[in-house]
Amino acid sequence: MSFALRARGISKSFGGVKALTDVDLDVVPGEVLCLAGANGSGKSTLIKIISGVETPDSGTIEIDGEEIVTSSVAAAVQRGVQVIFQDMSLFPNLTVAENIAMSERVKDGVKVISGKRARSLAKSVIERLGIDLDLEARVENISVADRQLVAICRALALDVKVLFMDEPTTALTWHEIESLRQVVEQLKKEQVGIVFVSHKTEEVFAMSDRIVVLRNGVVVRTGATADFTENSLVEALVGYLPEDQRRVEISDTGEEPPALSVEGIGVESLFADVSFAVGRGEIVGLTGLLGSGRSEIAEAIFGKLPIDTGTIAVGGETKTIRSVADAITAGIGYVPEDRLTQGVVLGQSIERNLVSAALGKVSSSAGVLKERLLAETSRASVAELQIKTDNAALPVSSLSGGNQQRVVLGKWMLTDPKVLILNGPTVGVDAGSKATILEILRDAARSGMGVLLISDDVPELVSVCHRVLFVRRGRLAGELAHDEVAEPAIRERLVR
Amino acid sequence: MTDMKTSSTAGLRARATSLWQGATRHHAYDLGLLALALVVAVVFTLINPSVYASQLNVESIAFSVPEVGLMALAISIAMTVAGIDLSTVAVANLSALFIAWYSAVGEAAGQGPIVSTLIAVAGALVIGAVAGAVNGFVISRLKVAPILATLATMQIYTGLAIALTRGEAAYGVTAPLSEFGMGDLLGVPYVFWFFVLVVVVVWAIMTKTTFGLKATLTGASKVVSEFTGYSYSGVIVRAYVLTGVISALAGLVMVSRTASASAGYGSSYLMLAITIAVLGGANPFGGRVAITGAALAAVVLQLISSGLNMVDVSAYIYQIVQGAILAGVFVVTFERQRLLQRLARRRTAPPEPGAPQPAPSVVREKEPA
Repeated sequence: MSFALRARGISKSFGGVKALTDVDLDVVPGEVLCLAGANGSGKSTLIKIISGVETPDSGTIEIDGEEIVTSSVAAAVQRGVQVIFQDMSLFPNLTVAENIAMSERVKDGVKVISGKRARSLAKSVIERLGIDLDLEARVENISVADRQLVAICRALALDVKVLFMDEPTTALTWHEIESLRQVVEQLKKEQVGIVFVSHKTEEVFAMSDRIVVLRNGVVVRTGATADFTENSLVEALVGYLPEDQRRVEISDTGEEPPALSVEGIGVESLFADVSFAVGRGEIVGLTGLLGSGRSEIAEAIFGKLPIDTGTIAVGGETKTIRSVADAITAGIGYVPEDRLTQGVVLGQSIERNLVSAALGKVSSSAGVLKERLLAETSRASVAELQIKTDNAALPVSSLSGGNQQRVVLGKWMLTDPKVLILNGPTVGVDAGSKATILEILRDAARSGMGVLLISDDVPELVSVCHRVLFVRRGRLAGELAHDEVAEPAIRERLVR
Repeated sequence: MTDMKTSSTAGLRARATSLWQGATRHHAYDLGLLALALVVAVVFTLINPSVYASQLNVESIAFSVPEVGLMALAISIAMTVAGIDLSTVAVANLSALFIAWYSAVGEAAGQGPIVSTLIAVAGALVIGAVAGAVNGFVISRLKVAPILATLATMQIYTGLAIALTRGEAAYGVTAPLSEFGMGDLLGVPYVFWFFVLVVVVVWAIMTKTTFGLKATLTGASKVVSEFTGYSYSGVIVRAYVLTGVISALAGLVMVSRTASASAGYGSSYLMLAITIAVLGGANPFGGRVAITGAALAAVVLQLISSGLNMVDVSAYIYQIVQGAILAGVFVVTFERQRLLQRLARRRTAPPEPGAPQPAPSVVREKEPA
């Protein structure tokens, strides 16, 4: 049997900490291998070692039967190892064709660039994959899904034997994932070995032929995808089996006015005529494809994108919301879609981020900060949300993704909102953190908060939502309530 | 008895140690600047003790620090909100001119010295506040990059000063201002005491108030601050008003010390003030408060300037030294960041692909726009 990649006994430690211990990884040409693991399990270290960014302490790497002696990125690329990192490392100011041609230019040391050559090269790659991309569009103007395709095309412009994709679907919607899957099928036919990293169990099953599970730097399980069940995979990932079936408590909305109700709201050319209510203690899911208007509806209620028509009421009182400050005053909190650029200030301390939306709580009326109160407030928040840190004065960037998301959540919890809107709160978060975050939402609802959860993640919607609303082309298109909320029903509605 | 004594000494020592540790952790950079100041002072004193350590020289340093130190403070605040203020010298001159002009007007109108001083200073502060508000408005509402916005207003404010004075200097200040500019208390010039006072107040504003915290977070990430409900223009305008007022205070010190003002005074101060702000630890990409650092850096640079002057080195050399310091601070800061990152990476396992890269460098933090 020939291997596209054969890594044997890879170990690596940083300082005293072992990141990888005696890891073996084989990739056969034409197979899709999923590298699964929670945050901190050593996936990225393994990818960095194979792609030549880091040198292993021990172990060997063979590509296409030849052992790589010195590890460097150039050597790895020369042998046909390509990695598409999450940020995709594209040049936003260049066209699609120029980006695709870039790797070849770099490899051959081309000094005089030819637009014609770039176009024909890009065209040949695109046709090979059978996809549709505007070669002349600037990368900054195309969708995230298309950028992903551009990154794949760029990798394929060179002779690639093993392609690593780091969470390729994080920012993609369902039908975009579908077209990515077709590209992957095409690559399999070309005998490329594909390794992809993912958190989403669902997608691991849909796309991979084989699974390698890393936990704490050790391969804990490896086998054909068919031999795994969803439960056994989660168990291998986190070491225990978290309960994640539907666990929704009956909400007692009673006679009280709903936490949030919107009547016929709309924003010109984005969405129109949207009416719904979220009761006290209720968790309502809002789902739809990317671009359906679901994020815009959330941002409109939060005042980021003020409404042109309709009314918004919080706790039965109609509120005029023209700005984010208005929304916060009205009692609305919003955990935004992009945690890293919208949710937290990475370079600032955990405690500052936590109190940033509720400064009134930790200062005098003259605007002087009460430092002791600030420290106590943030300490309580850290404990309540189980944020893993020994010092809240450290910057948020010192935390893992799941813990950063808890900081965003804590920041809004501190404002004591009547309504909490969350946009994809568990995207890119490992299974353990995800369970914690969903539990926090259940607790919040139990205490009488109204929760509006925008999500793509069907199991997540099923697990926490009382009701699920669907958005299509800027309008509400149906609802599933209580017992109707189930995975097949949601999926069917989404693709319809 | 003895037991109690030892335990209380031990307690004191522990307390002192923890205080020291706190100080070194939170103020490592400031302590470094302090050490640098000492080294510079010692070196030049060793070269020529009778001149450098003379009372005359020390006093002259204490007289020169406040003007440019205040301007550096102004620029440091602008940098906290990810901006810069190139108009600070122009605003200082405009304010100084007003004070000199009103000193004469007030006297001619028969006002008492105290009254005309108060009016003159209040007017200067209003000029500073208005000029700063204009800067803040142009930056936050008209969305002009701070470096271009304040370049434009610098030209406008300077042009205004030239037009109003026909380019001529104004002479003379009220008696109280003259005393303020030249007198001293306990052997330290009033203007230096004044500088320390302003530093303390501004430091408190930037570190102990909700405005300071909002300004810092807004400087670190405009997008996050908007998602947190902060009014961007509110924060920016207030920050530049503070900047303008401090520039006006620099003008007050200038005119009091020299008893004259002109539209073209102190033009070489601008680059010096920027150098001081950066050496003081301000991050031009925003999100860092470095008020005490700026004050210490002002002292360091004045010590160097005075020392070079003593050993009779030409002014051009001083300029080269300034440039080298500016470039050096950047290199050292970024290298330190990289070094810290490498250490942090070695200490803990590397982050997962989903997590952000470790301790993003100051530049990275601003990237997503």
